[in-house]
Amino acid sequence: MTYAPPEENTLGVILGGKPRHAKSAAVRRLTGDDTPRLTGLGTGFVGIGAAIIVSLRAIYGLMWLVVQWDQYPNPMLAAIAWIVLIAVIVGTTTSVHLISGKLPHWMFALFLVGLATVVALDLYAVWPLHDIGRYATSAIAAGMTLLLVLTVRRGSDIIVAVSVIGIALVIAIVVNVPFALDNLAPQITAVAFAVLPTVIGLALISNLRRLVQVELDRVLVQSTLTAPRFAVGMMASEELARLDLAAEKLLDSVANGSTKLPLAPKIASTAASLATELRLHLIEGRRETWLYHAITESDLLGKSVTLTDKGSLAGLLDPVQRDGLLSTAWLFVTDTAKRGTKNSVHVTIAPSTTAVAPGYGDKVAIEITITSLGVTRNRIDASTWEAIAKVGTYTDSTEDSSVRLDIECLVDNPADQ
Amino acid sequence: MQALPQMDLIAKERDRLLQRTARVASLSFLAVSVICLSIPGAVQTFTLLLCLPLYLIMAVFQFQVGNSRSLAWVVPSFLAGIGVILLIANTPGGPTQSGLSAATQLSSASLACLAIVLTTTLTRRLILLASFVAVAGTAVFALQPFQSPIRTLALLAFGWILSALIGFWISSGVPQAIRRIASIGRAHRAERQASETEAQRRQGARLLHDTVLATLTLLAHSGVGVSADAMRQQSGDDARLLRQLRLGATPNPQVSGDYNLSAPVSETVLGTTLESVKQRFGRMGLEVSWHGTGQVLLPSDVLDAFLLALAECLENVRRHSGVTDAHVTITEDDTTVRAMITDSGVGFVLDDVDSASLGFKESVVARLKEVGGQARLFSTPGSGTTVVLEVPR
Repeated sequence: MTYAPPEENTLGVILGGKPRHAKSAAVRRLTGDDTPRLTGLGTGFVGIGAAIIVSLRAIYGLMWLVVQWDQYPNPMLAAIAWIVLIAVIVGTTTSVHLISGKLPHWMFALFLVGLATVVALDLYAVWPLHDIGRYATSAIAAGMTLLLVLTVRRGSDIIVAVSVIGIALVIAIVVNVPFALDNLAPQITAVAFAVLPTVIGLALISNLRRLVQVELDRVLVQSTLTAPRFAVGMMASEELARLDLAAEKLLDSVANGSTKLPLAPKIASTAASLATELRLHLIEGRRETWLYHAITESDLLGKSVTLTDKGSLAGLLDPVQRDGLLSTAWLFVTDTAKRGTKNSVHVTIAPSTTAVAPGYGDKVAIEITITSLGVTRNRIDASTWEAIAKVGTYTDSTEDSSVRLDIECLVDNPADQ
Repeated sequence: MQALPQMDLIAKERDRLLQRTARVASLSFLAVSVICLSIPGAVQTFTLLLCLPLYLIMAVFQFQVGNSRSLAWVVPSFLAGIGVILLIANTPGGPTQSGLSAATQLSSASLACLAIVLTTTLTRRLILLASFVAVAGTAVFALQPFQSPIRTLALLAFGWILSALIGFWISSGVPQAIRRIASIGRAHRAERQASETEAQRRQGARLLHDTVLATLTLLAHSGVGVSADAMRQQSGDDARLLRQLRLGATPNPQVSGDYNLSAPVSETVLGTTLESVKQRFGRMGLEVSWHGTGQVLLPSDVLDAFLLALAECLENVRRHSGVTDAHVTITEDDTTVRAMITDSGVGFVLDDVDSASLGFKESVVARLKEVGGQARLFSTPGSGTTVVLEVPR
């Protein structure tokens, strides 16, 4: 075995030039636009709802076909268009149900070809009537049928598809329908009903994906609530394992002679940095509290929360207080942001000078100060105040656009433990 | 413990999703409605001018529905909408097809989409019912001269029922989604605990890491000063220990070439373990002479700390003293085990050494402190160095 130096060391220095993986890569992996796990994460119900709505829409459109049957010069063509559309709806609903995760490209292509056929047949059937808005049925329903693949294809794919259908309808209307003011409203309505449901569905699904991402970030961070006073981060054991493995490889290559002694300067310096890192991880690995890990591991908190906790006092908080403090930071960041502004929250934890009230002799007081820029006091809602109250007794003050909270928090005396 | 705020957060997230969806839906149909109404001839120009401010009000309020869960942003839209429907119906000469389309888009689509946010509580459902009755009643009666009431009512019912269904669907789906995510959170907590345990296991294998660190430090100096054979043998031994650690065992090096793989040894005899330290330093060119007690039993964590500190001191002797032999004297009394490491090397001025450097403070003092022990250092230039290490029994 020849020794190959590791690509990056665990102190965050990149040796190979590749960017260091973000801590929350897990979150991104779970919520990426096209991962199979996404439907498993609860957006699946949107797919079922979409199938129901599309079916209702199809029944509504079919009723119109029946009502207007006598007015069609060639009703069979319109009927064939409907048969194709129903086949597409049934086929797509079934395959979306069976396939977990992303719809394969060829299936999506087949689906689009089906829709194009429907639009073409229906437009051809109503062409001699010169009033597409009033007589087209399946062509309008076809636009809404895109809702079926909302959860299994990327938003951009669907936007492109729905735009193509919309533009095709507009062009057909411009070419086919004689311009008259009285004719205009049904045409506009028809195009709107073909395009808007899918656009609204896209807005829904993107908001839902954001919700899933935020919620996932939050539950991942909440796992720190039960951590011991000093904890290693999620990556620590991985880092140690990697260092151990790197050391093992190096030592092995020395032992079996594939690395010649005395060592080349480059390998010698690798050995030195390995030793340094190992030493740091073994001796200094446990200096950070749960709060530090929670903030650094979270996508959302990491961007806007800073922490000053020289005495690592956050570790003394019990799980209820931790939950309150984390929720407070969380609500400040997610809830009170005004459009376009970026909140910043600073948390300072320091020993308190206040004497502990009689009856709490076994407790010590610590002072938690939360300063939040870009938050106005009237945007802090009841649930945030509840969360703050779980940490301890608080006073709040406002200056300019920042809110300052001073929380007096009673914790078990570490000397007694 | 976390049940209440959790429910609150779920409700918040659910409402936000409902609000955003309602905003997009109602605003887009509002736009279609105003476009239809603006087609020349749809209604009298005067009616159009009266309607436009009402549309503007609806647009502002429907936009705000996306930001706030307050009902105060919902209800005025219905009132303004009813106003617009009445204006369209009463325009002089009656509305044309375009005007009727505008009224339909408004009553059956744009206003109907606000039903999405009116499904979560009983109060909201009652308001939903009242608004539907108000809007539908106005539309049916006002448009009766121009459009059959059945058609108007059918369109209204279709739009309102559809969007109420969407509202119910979302509000029942989101808590399910969030519960699934919570189960991922629980799995993550288990993973964090496992990670913590694994890190502890690896950090706990101190004796092993100590010999690995010593060997790595030698390699960092390109292995100079040690015979290549000894270096290779030591590397092989250490690589084997690391492999065992990786495969899940907690090896405790005792005597070179013979490793104790069973973890449950709570007390270990000091003498046999010291022998391996002596052999290791022997290979690196430092002869360690051994005096005093050889058979002391120590709890394994104390023993680990003691041996690590001892090895750290010997490493300092090897690297800095300039001599090739050191003496270790072990003494014990009822409460304490004491090691005195002496060399007759160059020595140093204590004040010249930054205590934070050299790793002395971290690796010797801190480790002994963790198990209740201490270290003292005596040295003067030219007359060697003595370190006294003490741990409780």
